[in-house]
Amino acid sequence: MSNVKLAFLIQRPPYKSETATLGITHAISYQVVEMLLEDGQNVIPTVCMVGEGVLNCLKDQKAMENYGVMSIESHIKNGLLVDLDILVCKEDLARFGISEDRIADAEDMGADKKLQIVPYAEIQKVMESSNHLLVF
Amino acid sequence: MKLGVFVNDYKSTVETVDRLTAEKLGIIFIQNGVFHATIKDNGKASPILDKSANFYALSEDLATRGLTNTDVDSRVKVVTYSDVVDLIFNDYEKLIWV
Repeated sequence: MSNVKLAFLIQRPPYKSETATLGITHAISYQVVEMLLEDGQNVIPTVCMVGEGVLNCLKDQKAMENYGVMSIESHIKNGLLVDLDILVCKEDLARFGISEDRIADAEDMGADKKLQIVPYAEIQKVMESSNHLLVF
Repeated sequence: MKLGVFVNDYKSTVETVDRLTAEKLGIIFIQNGVFHATIKDNGKASPILDKSANFYALSEDLATRGLTNTDVDSRVKVVTYSDVVDLIFNDYEKLIWV
């Protein structure tokens, strides 16, 4: 029985709306979805940050200090902690002049995974191979 | 007219702001508007910064997004909440949000 692949495409910037946060939290909650699947079937989620969505990935976000809310950086870290694949479009990072050292990681929390900076062509492949594409 | 304009979004606000004219124009970047003050799209700063205006960006909203004062365009002054209150009461007669 084949696994179900979900691609979460995040294209909106952080904070003004809940959109980007929702995309990440939906992806993190994939483990709950597994309850609805057939025996032996798994959900394989992949988060793809594209366009202005890459602006969610900056590190050192001070959302708790200023807004009293959990930062999107923390949501991303939690995603990495549960071994979520989070892809970040290389071309869009370059377009906005964001270098790799500005990108969040969850190394301090002991995560094995890191944000994966990849060409858009790779994100396109993820979208094509997914059973469901969810755009946020 | 002394007009203060709060810009709180990134892409969707450029055309609206471009049409605004005033004897004294102040553009205050808050929330996601701070990306206008910091991000260069394909190497180009936001076209809003080409307007003849005084520009401000809220420091708390910069920090929330992982941005620092060194990311801010030289045409933009970084201000605190308290500074924004002063701008509202002392510098501009009318204030709008776009």
